Amino acid sequence: MTTQEAKFILSAFRPNGSDTSNPAFAGALQAAAGDPLLGEWFARSRAHDAAVAAKLGEIAVPAGLRGAILAGARVSARPRRIGFGFAWAAGFAAAAALAFVVVTMRAPVRAEGVSAAFAGFAIGDVVNGKHGGTGEPSGALVASLQAKGSPMPGPDRIDFDKLRDTGCRTLSFAGHDVIEVCFLRDGTLFHLYVYRSDGPSGDFAAKGPSFIARAAGAAAVWSDRKFDYAVATSAGVDALRRLF
Amino acid sequence: MNNEAFTQLVDANYAPLYRFALSLARNASDAGDLVQQTFFIWATKGHGLRELSKAKSWLFTTLYREFLRGRRRDARSTSLEDLPPGEKEPAAEDVDRVSRIDSAAVMAALQAVDEAFRAPLTLFYIEDMSYQEIAETIDVPIGTVMSRLSRGKAQLRMALENSGSSSSKVLPFPNPKGARAQ
Repeated sequence: MTTQEAKFILSAFRPNGSDTSNPAFAGALQAAAGDPLLGEWFARSRAHDAAVAAKLGEIAVPAGLRGAILAGARVSARPRRIGFGFAWAAGFAAAAALAFVVVTMRAPVRAEGVSAAFAGFAIGDVVNGKHGGTGEPSGALVASLQAKGSPMPGPDRIDFDKLRDTGCRTLSFAGHDVIEVCFLRDGTLFHLYVYRSDGPSGDFAAKGPSFIARAAGAAAVWSDRKFDYAVATSAGVDALRRLF
Repeated sequence: MNNEAFTQLVDANYAPLYRFALSLARNASDAGDLVQQTFFIWATKGHGLRELSKAKSWLFTTLYREFLRGRRRDARSTSLEDLPPGEKEPAAEDVDRVSRIDSAAVMAALQAVDEAFRAPLTLFYIEDMSYQEIAETIDVPIGTVMSRLSRGKAQLRMALENSGSSSSKVLPFPNPKGARAQ
């Protein structure tokens, strides 16, 4: 084994020594033990690796991230075990309710999962996202959102392709492109998130929005035949309720 | 998986997943999105995993796939063959340099490493994964992992050296009027 070969192999040797007993390293370790120069190189390399690993372990995680994960994903996580009796036991309504999640996620979840996850996604983005993208917000939509008493948008007011070019940001949620549009109403900053719905799901509340409040913020989620929506703010659920 | 178990899964993995995502995505916002997306996918798919002992590996693999999937299709990707070999050998002062600079600067240096090397390097450093585990996680052959670790480390050392040399160029804060340096 040449020195270069030994260095190549030893580059994969973990600094905490976990690989000492791995036979794949035996030859290279033996070479390092018998060659003072290679041995010095190996010692420096391990010390360097340990220093880098220690520093990277100090990287702080955003304070709201854990809460956002739990707010979003946990609610959607409850699995429904489908037994042989499911098909006949489930009625048409339940099948329709599950159609969306089966199609989009290829795994069964509780009916309320997607909307709650979308709410968690929106709250998480309000807390952790870098808002204010490079695109100019779509003027007419923002103007109507900011008008006191104006209803939240429906499909007639959403030109998704235009918003993709002119909205604040384009994000990703469960495989969907999500457009964010930020707006101020009564001095409070809100973030509207819209993505193309995969069709009626029964997951989102049929009548009006559902409100989800977390420590970091609150979101209202609703849906129509074309789009799924969330409006989120860090100002609390009461501020959200005033939008509807 | 019940809520308590899910919370434990999140608590055990969200921080290293975030660091992994941060090294890949290069900004905190996208990293946070990636981690949330990963747990969302777990919530909808991963609970079917029969061996919970493999949950960590599943999460890292999923996050990496989501990162690759989320990249812009038109983004320029660099062929590994085009990448510089990276010959920087570790020197004694390199260790001191890493110890002196803060963790954000080390992360920035890691983010400067070519993308193909960054994922195995981060898993090696942050998750203390073996080369076999890394190969499984990012789905590349073992030999490729070893090569990427070797070359990635060389690039990282160069990036850290640049980071250190640029910080040394910072001018000292001027003394207040009339004050003398001790």
